[in-house]
Amino acid sequence: MPITVEHFTRTYGSFTAVDDLSFEVQAGEIVGLIGPNGAGKTTTLRSLAGILLPTRGRIVIDGHPLGPDGAGSIAAKRRLAFMPDEPHLFEYLTVEEHLRLVARLYTVPDFDRRAKALIDELELAGKERSLPGELSRGMRQKVVIACGLVRDASVLLFDEPLTGLDPLGIRKMRETIVARGKAGAAILVSSHLLHLVEEICTRVLIMDRGKKVADGTVAELAGQAEAAAGSNLEQIFLKVTQKL
Amino acid sequence: MINASVYIAVCTAKNRLLVRLRRLREPRYLVGAVVGVAYLYFAVFARGRRPGVRFGRNGRPQPADFGANVAMAGTSLGGLTMLVLAALAWVTQTKSALLEFSQAEIAFLFPAPATRRQLLVHRMIRSQIGSLIGSAFIALFATPFSGLGRARLAVSIWAVMLTMRVYYAAVLLTRARLRSSVAAERRAAWIPVGGLLGAVAVVSVSVARELLQPISGASDFFVHLARATSSGPASVVLWPFMAILRPPFAATTQAFLSALAGSVLVLAAVTAWMLLGDGMFDEVAGQGGAARDLAPGQAAAAPSRARGIGWTLPLTGRPELALLWKGAMETFRGVSARAVRLAIPLLVGVGGAAFGIMGANGMRGAAAAVSVIGGIVAAVSVVFGPQLVNSDLRTDLGHLEVLKTWPMRAADVIRGEMAWPVLLVSSVMCVSVAIAALFSTQAVPNVPFVSRWSYALAAVVAGPALVAAQFVVHNTAAILFPAWVQLGTQRTRGIDAMGQRLITLAAVVLSLAAFAIPGALAGGVIWLIFHRLVGDVVYVPAAVAFAIVVLIEVVVATELLGPAYERIDLSSIEKGES
Repeated sequence: MPITVEHFTRTYGSFTAVDDLSFEVQAGEIVGLIGPNGAGKTTTLRSLAGILLPTRGRIVIDGHPLGPDGAGSIAAKRRLAFMPDEPHLFEYLTVEEHLRLVARLYTVPDFDRRAKALIDELELAGKERSLPGELSRGMRQKVVIACGLVRDASVLLFDEPLTGLDPLGIRKMRETIVARGKAGAAILVSSHLLHLVEEICTRVLIMDRGKKVADGTVAELAGQAEAAAGSNLEQIFLKVTQKL
Repeated sequence: MINASVYIAVCTAKNRLLVRLRRLREPRYLVGAVVGVAYLYFAVFARGRRPGVRFGRNGRPQPADFGANVAMAGTSLGGLTMLVLAALAWVTQTKSALLEFSQAEIAFLFPAPATRRQLLVHRMIRSQIGSLIGSAFIALFATPFSGLGRARLAVSIWAVMLTMRVYYAAVLLTRARLRSSVAAERRAAWIPVGGLLGAVAVVSVSVARELLQPISGASDFFVHLARATSSGPASVVLWPFMAILRPPFAATTQAFLSALAGSVLVLAAVTAWMLLGDGMFDEVAGQGGAARDLAPGQAAAAPSRARGIGWTLPLTGRPELALLWKGAMETFRGVSARAVRLAIPLLVGVGGAAFGIMGANGMRGAAAAVSVIGGIVAAVSVVFGPQLVNSDLRTDLGHLEVLKTWPMRAADVIRGEMAWPVLLVSSVMCVSVAIAALFSTQAVPNVPFVSRWSYALAAVVAGPALVAAQFVVHNTAAILFPAWVQLGTQRTRGIDAMGQRLITLAAVVLSLAAFAIPGALAGGVIWLIFHRLVGDVVYVPAAVAFAIVVLIEVVVATELLGPAYERIDLSSIEKGES
């Protein structure tokens, strides 16, 4: 199983951000992670990416447990690609150098062909030698996504992937995520854009106040929430999180 | 608009103070505040009451001739320095605090019904509280002053800082006017440039005339320099530059007020000049400026174009070397006009120290000077290099979200982050030692050749280990106490932050001693055994033993730091204040 989360709990001091969360994501599945602000989505994604250590519970990526330093953790990170909502780039490395650095760290074969294909796919052509300071926020977001996709990650984690993108970029990003899912990657997408989640995700996981409150396809969620037939994800979400 | 600016400045100051008081509930800030207050008490207030330390009445400096001497030579030489800085600003100045608007100011004030000139005045008003606090703080630590003298000094420093700030903004606006498509604008912009060039020419001629006279030593050099700048046309053109420096040297309140009037007059003239350049506001500070499209936290000083370095990262190899490459790219591309400007006082300091050492030891000749300078640069590199070159985890904690996702062992990340700065500082040190040794015949003719080269080789062997140990200590502090580390050029302010820095400094010194002692013991044992047999050559194997022990400690320490790195919480990293 590409992603296995068992009884994951993460606390900050006395505050519990995520409480006893368990779920799995299979290969080829695109799971939407949604919830109101402060639900624990970003903490979950950061823990899955190896940035935060779980306070309790276990996170396993492709059979390798994530945790304190060790061979398993490094093997897990090799299979992961995390695209955060805020594009963190090294201000003195160019776009091409960012991709090259990632390729070196993850031992990416056939780098030049992959890099060129990605640069074209994400419409970064002509910006290869640009520094982050020269790029718009949307462009920087694309660079972060390119760094995530330049390697063959079997697990892709997206945190608000469409922030800052133009309409064409949004459309391309949707296609990219779906294509990677079809190619067999296990994908977890956190977003407040419920129409995007409804459109591209094969399953939806709803969190509220650190806990999982619903999990299933949109149709299954509608059943669980006792929503009216034909309800869209927004109506289901509001009902599940008791905002309606 | 002025009311709005004052309102923003006062509310911001009030709320900043409240935030600082509120954050004292957190132990890390409370401990820092206690240490900071204790330091202030013992360093400033208690010292004044210690027997044997006398302060002048009414702020009059002691001893009696101090003020007179400094006032005589200090203001004229200071004026000369200010002229040099003013001239350099036209070449090196790339930004001004008065032209840098926060994202909130851009969002709220740029669309507001206010003129560009009013926006410039707004920035002047907003910078006042910070300037006054900064000036008061400097004055607190000025030992020859007390009571009213400190207050006068604070006001004097405030006036100098404000004048320089306004001047830099005026230079940027005028430079933009020089590029204007309107001929009249360009012509008007040349007036201050011409004036400054004229002043530089007059002073240069006067200084050259004096320096062509025979000079008997370092003190005589300064006497000639002071004479060149304090008489004739040079003293006239230097008047505005000297006027802003006179208030701190005034002996009485009446003299201070008189000197302050001259200083304020210069400030008014520079302010008027800056405000006249408001037509270029949008070029320099407005939507066409650097503020556009910069993400929060993105360094505004980042270059607009990537400088080609000619070093491509190979796609295979150890990951630590990839981090070394990253550090090198950041350093080469990060060298900016600002860095050059910061290097100027360092170079002046090195030159001054070399001058002093040579004078004290009766050394003469260019070769001796080169050797002494090489030695000083090597020493400065080892002692201050690891503090100044912080392109390791101290800077990259801001990128922790990226670093932690990389498939690297934590210890490898730590070593990789340190690799480039260690290499850089060690290289500077080794080259400096080599230069010092090469030219040492003239500097220390009494020391035998073998001894000189033994010392040099020992320094080249032991220095990098000591540098690496210091980087480990600094990075350990960053990993264990990330909340106390300031990211990049951002600095947290306040008495609690000052206390945190003092604690960190003490911990760094103690840890460094702990690192060096085992190595020194190993080297000492070799020295004891072989010194009588081989003489000064023993320093080389002793340094090798020292380096081996320290480098083993470095590797062990980075391994031990791994788990702590894994546990760093992103929320503990200080975001700094703007």
